[in-house]
Amino acid sequence: VTGDIQLAAAPANAGGGCHLFSGCGYPAPGLQDFNFRPMFTIGSFAFTKPMLVALLCTVGVIAFFWAAFARPKLVPRGVQNIGELAILAVRDQILRPSLGRKGDSYLPFLVSLFFFIFVNNLMELIPFFQFPTMSRIGFVWPMVAVVYILYLYLGFRHQGAWGYFRNMIPPGVPSFVLVILVPVEVARFFIVQPFTLGVRLFANMFAGHLLLLIFTLATWYLASFTIGLLFAVGSAAMVVFVFLLELLVDLLQAFIFTTLTATYIASSLEAGH
Amino acid sequence: VAVDVSSKTGHHSSGQHSSGQHSSGQYSNDPDDAGHLRALGLSTGWAVFSYLIAGMMAYGAIGWLISRATHLAILFPVGMLLGLGISLAFVIHRYGRAEAQAAGTKARTSGEGRNLRNGTDR
Repeated sequence: VTGDIQLAAAPANAGGGCHLFSGCGYPAPGLQDFNFRPMFTIGSFAFTKPMLVALLCTVGVIAFFWAAFARPKLVPRGVQNIGELAILAVRDQILRPSLGRKGDSYLPFLVSLFFFIFVNNLMELIPFFQFPTMSRIGFVWPMVAVVYILYLYLGFRHQGAWGYFRNMIPPGVPSFVLVILVPVEVARFFIVQPFTLGVRLFANMFAGHLLLLIFTLATWYLASFTIGLLFAVGSAAMVVFVFLLELLVDLLQAFIFTTLTATYIASSLEAGH
Repeated sequence: VAVDVSSKTGHHSSGQHSSGQHSSGQYSNDPDDAGHLRALGLSTGWAVFSYLIAGMMAYGAIGWLISRATHLAILFPVGMLLGLGISLAFVIHRYGRAEAQAAGTKARTSGEGRNLRNGTDR
């Protein structure tokens, strides 16, 4: 079942009739599977499937929490139960460990961030959507920008612009060491740290989608009344394995992104040294 | 940098405020030590990684600029190695010593520093 579903995710080169010994070769998935034909265009703006998925995820997350907390009861029932579980999970596993109780005012931001990323990631496993939005890096950079702007803003507000950058380097360091460390700190803060924050999420989702495509296409390609059938079964088993692995990766990447955001906020609220 | 390794690990380990260090006090009542260690390990790990790359990048760039001006191609790799050396020294100074301090302040059962399994012995 998964094979057929995932096959539809690669319309560009699904090679419907391509099988072993039919002479057309394995239709290897690649970058072309991450590009979609526009659904419609408005002037030069083209609306594509990843945008639709991102929009639906946004609406879905908002609708879920709206349903859970529009009329909150003291004794939670139904959706509110699940909503509270979700929020408490983020609070106790992500926010409190980094920010402590003082950071509770950032809970709405972190909950939104976590569930937006998580649901978008999960879309790679759900039939008909079957595309992780975050495997297009254009969806990742705006989130990194939001996190970084907040990070800088809080740092400036709580430590002052000069004090904020001064606090990056531990006190008591001789001034000549300070001069040596400044280029390193600048490169780390403005280039490496935002880059790793974004690329970590993007690369994981990109690789996950590619892995799923490789094994599902191979299952389809090898399925025939030849020795290939044996390999097709092996490939199908790999699809199930990668599917479960991706379930873990989806959760983990959302968790890591949000946890790092929380630690960034923590370091902005007070000097870490 | 994201978090202060020494003071927080000290907090976790014994609940004592190590003198002379910035102590926020916000973690002392935190029941979720495993979560705290996880966040700490994650941010420290990525911070160290970022420092190593950033050092090579910054001094590599400086070396490359000088090599362009002086036509001494060797200065680019020399700059990168110098940057890596500076980053390594800083990481050891900043994080290595903090770990040693934290390990010293606690009667650790088996010395599993940032390990998550540590959360089970509470």
